[in-house]
Amino acid sequence: MKKCLATILAGILVLALVAGCSSTPQSSSKEPAKESQASQASQAPASQAPAAQAKDTYRVAYIARAQADSFAAWLANAIRDEAAKYDNIKLDVFDGEANDEKENSLIENAITNKYDLIIVQPNNGEAQRPYVEKILQAGIFAITTNARIDNIPGSSSVDANPYEQAAVNARLALEQIPQNAKVVVLNGPSGNFHADARRESWQKEFFDKRPDVTIVGEQIANWNKDEAMKYMEDWVQSNDQIDAVISMNDNMAAGALEVVKDNPKFDNLLVYGVDGTAEALLLIKEGRMTATCMQSAYDLATLLLDTANKLLTGQEKEINVDIDNPLITKDNVDQYIEILKKAGAL
Amino acid sequence: MKQLGLKWQQFRKKYNIYLVLIVLFLICSVINPNFLSITNLSNISRQLAVTTILAFGATILIIGGMLDLSAGSVLALSGVLSVSCYKSTESLLLSFLVGVAVGIFCNLINAVMVASFHTPPFIATLAMLTMARGAALLYTKGQNILQLGNYVVFGQGSIFGIPTPIIFLVLILIITWYTLRHTRFGRSMYAIGGNEETAIASGISVKKMKYIAYAINGAFVGLSGVLFMSRVNAGLPNGAVNYEFQALTAAIIGGTSFSGGIGTASGTLAGAFIVGFLDNIMNLAGVDSYVQQIVRGAIIALAVIYDIGIKNHWKPLSKVSKAAS
Repeated sequence: MKKCLATILAGILVLALVAGCSSTPQSSSKEPAKESQASQASQAPASQAPAAQAKDTYRVAYIARAQADSFAAWLANAIRDEAAKYDNIKLDVFDGEANDEKENSLIENAITNKYDLIIVQPNNGEAQRPYVEKILQAGIFAITTNARIDNIPGSSSVDANPYEQAAVNARLALEQIPQNAKVVVLNGPSGNFHADARRESWQKEFFDKRPDVTIVGEQIANWNKDEAMKYMEDWVQSNDQIDAVISMNDNMAAGALEVVKDNPKFDNLLVYGVDGTAEALLLIKEGRMTATCMQSAYDLATLLLDTANKLLTGQEKEINVDIDNPLITKDNVDQYIEILKKAGAL
Repeated sequence: MKQLGLKWQQFRKKYNIYLVLIVLFLICSVINPNFLSITNLSNISRQLAVTTILAFGATILIIGGMLDLSAGSVLALSGVLSVSCYKSTESLLLSFLVGVAVGIFCNLINAVMVASFHTPPFIATLAMLTMARGAALLYTKGQNILQLGNYVVFGQGSIFGIPTPIIFLVLILIITWYTLRHTRFGRSMYAIGGNEETAIASGISVKKMKYIAYAINGAFVGLSGVLFMSRVNAGLPNGAVNYEFQALTAAIIGGTSFSGGIGTASGTLAGAFIVGFLDNIMNLAGVDSYVQQIVRGAIIALAVIYDIGIKNHWKPLSKVSKAAS
């Protein structure tokens, strides 16, 4: 019986391994080709811009930063769905696993595989910059997104503006947060472009203008709900008064709220986030969270595919666009809940 | 004589860990008056419950000369499957059992690799780490599962005023302590970790014992998955990353030796609380995030230096390198 079980389990394991391997044979088998391609590309003049060629179907590669982070996963799903609407575009999605090394080699592989257009969601903009330049040198269209990599001539970009996303919240907070308030701040991972830009925005748009407000706690909770909960539990212990939670994303804001949800002392707590996740919208609807800024993966996906289509069919040569940064409060949350419901996310 | 030395050494080690814990507790109480409040202490216990339960599983495995690096990922997989079971059936009992069963299943695969195919546990469970995380992400498409309703009772509820995670923590502590101290399985773990050849020679069914060890670890991991998701009130497929290392940290600070054969449940509990008190007091005192990471690392380094130092103290230097290898 035990042997039988062991054999079955082993069988499942082998199957899983085989399945896992079969999805990436191209990337490993073309390793040597990549080298020569890369060296050729670097000899080509840097100004060589990709040119549109008429084709029935264009092959597009989307190199995601990571599919283990919920926003990146949402974006990857949205891009897949959006691509399905285009008959002339065939999309492949690759997972950078939040690793610069991995993401860069995926970009190299995509160049080797001669995709017509490569969309890069950088894990770390500066680390991917030379690889995006390689894409262009190989005569392939490049789009950077969430976050864009600036100042690469010939590349296009579709993004939200992280400074503005936090700023719409901060401007509201200027009016809402009481005099001499005590606030806590939850930050994203240090060095992350969006995390840093959102924090900088809160500094310039709010803290610099409100010297009366004291930060009684500030920690990096890495975008995570569970880490944010832990910090909030400790802050609630060490502070008699907390008037507001300023969080750089919705996950962490939701974590802070989870801690005080049954505590009447915090009924009037002001909580600000960014992203517009389903959870945050529901919390705003219930009146527990104050505001967030919608960073819509659907809008990003729509614009990305539209941009890709225009580049590939030769309508334009370079496009740089931003999605809107709508502020969501109790007054307008219903319309966004509708959007998520339609998309099946709620 | 040798045995007496060994016992004394273990006693001293145990004693020292508790001394550290008590001193730390006193320092924390002096530094910040909020530290001693019942709510704060109950917070610390609730925050620690998940990683400490994982640490008990890790302790059993490390004593037996094994390891589980897949704990965090398997926790996430068990948790999201349990949550999704609750969402479709609304049955607390069933969803709880699903969580535990998934944990056991994944760890039986670990056991097949380790015990039947003699793969080094480090590699085998590293493979499981990626597979389980992949499965959790695939199943949820990387999206959080929301609106858990009554499911939160596991992680946020309380019985007679005692928070449920603490009840589970105490329960698992007793199970681990009893298993290690008073069962044939427990004794054979020490024997296998101490010297596997000798254990085989003395008639212990090593393979069977390793299967049992991974199964127990799996049940603990599955339970942790249920507690974790319930506490955060969401099914997070990307949750609990690196929790295996927090569990290992607690076990090692608590005196469990990586060379196998040494370790106790109560030591691991003390190890977990040393880390927990430190984290808590640093947050209460508003210590910078980066500094916290450095302090946490320094504590691990000190614990390992201490672990080796104890061996140095009791054996001539020439034998230390042999013992370490």
